[in-house]
Amino acid sequence: MTVKKFRVFLASNLEKEEQWLTEMSRKGLHLKKYRFCMYYFDENLNESYIYQTDFRPDAEEEYFQLYRDAGWQHVGNALNLFHYFRTEADQSGIKKLYSDAESIKDSYKRMISFYITLFLLLLVSQIGIIATWNGYVLQYISLSIVSLVILLYLYMFWSFRNRMKFYKK
Amino acid sequence: MSKQPEEFLPLSQATYYILLSLREIRHGYGIIKDVEEISRGEVIMGPGTLYGALSKLEKQNIITKAKNDDDDRRKYYELTNLGIQVLQLEFSRLKSLVENAKYIMKNMEG
Repeated sequence: MTVKKFRVFLASNLEKEEQWLTEMSRKGLHLKKYRFCMYYFDENLNESYIYQTDFRPDAEEEYFQLYRDAGWQHVGNALNLFHYFRTEADQSGIKKLYSDAESIKDSYKRMISFYITLFLLLLVSQIGIIATWNGYVLQYISLSIVSLVILLYLYMFWSFRNRMKFYKK
Repeated sequence: MSKQPEEFLPLSQATYYILLSLREIRHGYGIIKDVEEISRGEVIMGPGTLYGALSKLEKQNIITKAKNDDDDRRKYYELTNLGIQVLQLEFSRLKSLVENAKYIMKNMEG
């Protein structure tokens, strides 16, 4: 049986997503697919997995091979940016993709520079609206949507900063 | 101008062990297993940590992809000359750290 759940996680909340997926799996619902904030789970009470999310926009075959060798099964991806992996919960050995603070920070740094680029592109794309401002209702609507997105980005950068601080310790 | 081997020091624990394990040509998971062995189970590297380190070290020209003749799709790595120098320098650095402390630590034990 397949169960669908809608959830939104920001990239900076990747660890919360991992915890949620692992907790779902403990209850017998195992992620098998992700599409646009919709999580598809397979139900099976006899299994339990640890889930991990990895940011890797340039994933090559070598990457998947290494993770497979290390006992991680690839279950899906989000826009080919984030990859979902799982490993059996009762297996011994390491249950994390990143085993030291330095590599976790590196992974956050990769995410931050990716999202800063997107954010700058968003800002640049709005120059047109400002330059041709006539006070149309549509322009107000579009500007308010963009402002919301900008606020969301700023919130994400702020929470990225907190994650980085956490691992600096 | 290319970087001098000294400029890569000190190495992180993970990098140090990866370079040690590449005393022989190995693929990714081979490195994880070997590091676990030579560190006597102390360092069990996650694949994300290793993959990130390998890309970084390859960019820095400390390691390089090695040819492997069997039809294994896995990529194999080996140390470059620069990599060997970096590892040797790090080893002497660590050794002198321990040597210099030996006498002092002995006195502390009383």
